[in-house]
Amino acid sequence: MNFWEYLGNRRQQLLADAFQHASAVFQCMVVATAIGVLIGVLTYRSQWAGNLATTVTSTILTIPSLAMIGLLIPVVGLGVAPTVTALTLYGLLPIVRNAIVGLRGVDPTLVDAAKGIGMSRLHRLVRIELPLAWPPILTGIRVSTQMLMGIAAIAAYASGPGLGNEIFRGIASLGSKNALNQVLAGTLGIIVLALLFDAVYVLIGRLTIPRGIRV
Amino acid sequence: MTPKRRGAPRDPEPPHAGSPYTDSPYTESSYADTPYAASPREEDEAAGAAGREGAPTSPVAARQPRRVTWRKVTVLPAVLAVVLLATWLWFAQADLDSISENALSDGQVGKALRQHVELTAISTFFVLVIAIPLGILLTRRAFRKGAPVAMALANMGQATPAIGLLALLVIWLGIGEKAALTGIIIYAVLPVLSNTIAGLRANDPTLLEAARGIGMSPLGVLAKVELPLAVPLILAGVRTALVLNVGTATLATFGGGGGLGVLITTGITNQRMPVLLLGSILTVVLALLVDWLASLAELVLSPRGLEVRS
Repeated sequence: MNFWEYLGNRRQQLLADAFQHASAVFQCMVVATAIGVLIGVLTYRSQWAGNLATTVTSTILTIPSLAMIGLLIPVVGLGVAPTVTALTLYGLLPIVRNAIVGLRGVDPTLVDAAKGIGMSRLHRLVRIELPLAWPPILTGIRVSTQMLMGIAAIAAYASGPGLGNEIFRGIASLGSKNALNQVLAGTLGIIVLALLFDAVYVLIGRLTIPRGIRV
Repeated sequence: MTPKRRGAPRDPEPPHAGSPYTDSPYTESSYADTPYAASPREEDEAAGAAGREGAPTSPVAARQPRRVTWRKVTVLPAVLAVVLLATWLWFAQADLDSISENALSDGQVGKALRQHVELTAISTFFVLVIAIPLGILLTRRAFRKGAPVAMALANMGQATPAIGLLALLVIWLGIGEKAALTGIIIYAVLPVLSNTIAGLRANDPTLLEAARGIGMSPLGVLAKVELPLAVPLILAGVRTALVLNVGTATLATFGGGGGLGVLITTGITNQRMPVLLLGSILTVVLALLVDWLASLAELVLSPRGLEVRS
């Protein structure tokens, strides 16, 4: 059975896996973005807290994903829980770092001007600082998503959802005729998903980055 | 909506401008805001002052407080030592069942650790040997056209899942250390390559012009000007590669390559938490330790003259 026949035969299964993969990554990214931007907003004004947040998240990123999942299994069990926890944790770093860098990079004179026309702290944050810091934050989200695509594949070993199952099924049946097809389908599927997400982010960037600050 | 409501109470204020009542909110608000507005400026000034004071005395004294403090260098190893000690104490008193005993006896833990370090060291060596010369080559005039292709490949490579790449190589090369090593190397070459290219490209062209102007040969310009200037970025790439390699090496177990991943997968498949935890903790400690060593190397090897930039 060649690769195309394999894809045709297992279409249902592959589509279900791909959908689960994408939805797991997407949901974890939404949570990671919310938490990451919140951490960035809470910490960027203090040198100390900002550095602490960056150090902690980059330490988390240094931990190999299989080890992280291994540490999570005794705490939360197998399946979806360790996958979601690990994905969210790993997704945080680029977002937190870029949020802090972006918010700190906002021209203080602009914030001063906003203050001068009577904007409250919250307004300055929502109307001035966050929109100006949005491009780096979006870059962080893109980087995170690409990374999570690969980590989600590894999470399949802890009975997580997604295309990683396809790869591990291939590894488990090494030598059989379908091993190559399974691994190839899983790997290429993840690459295609990653590129699709990236394209969507480019589109989101074009729609949401204010025209005045577009490069 | 909210801006209007916010603005409304402010409108009646101007009439009282002279009264002490309105003065106090004014001072209060400006007081509350100063820490945010002033902190970056203050810091810039502080940094500038430190630089000015430090520069005449000695460059070493000036750079120590900026880049790294004793606390930064010692905290991580201390924490890791405590973690290892706690793990060891726990294992000394834990009663393990026969499956866990089997998985951990006969120096298997030491063997896995050694394999893991070997995989990381060998792959990092090859990554450097391949990626840095290739990066230099791709920034020379004759091969410059290849650089965008390499960059595009590097971006594509990031989207490839490491486990998929490894599985494909295992199918192609057969089970064993060779497939694992190849996978780890391929996976880490791209980030180091793109860092090297970015580092060499970021060099100020006027400096290169000046170097050529005083009669340096192309090789001299490369060795004495370009590479030293790009060292921080290249080292950052090396650090990334090392950390990546420790991580990818945990996956070597799926291709029969050994390493600490063996303990983790044994723990998961046999549902033995002590084995799983030991494998995970050792991997984490190794990754953080390697990252720490790389950060030290970054510190020691970066040219002194570039300290200001970081």
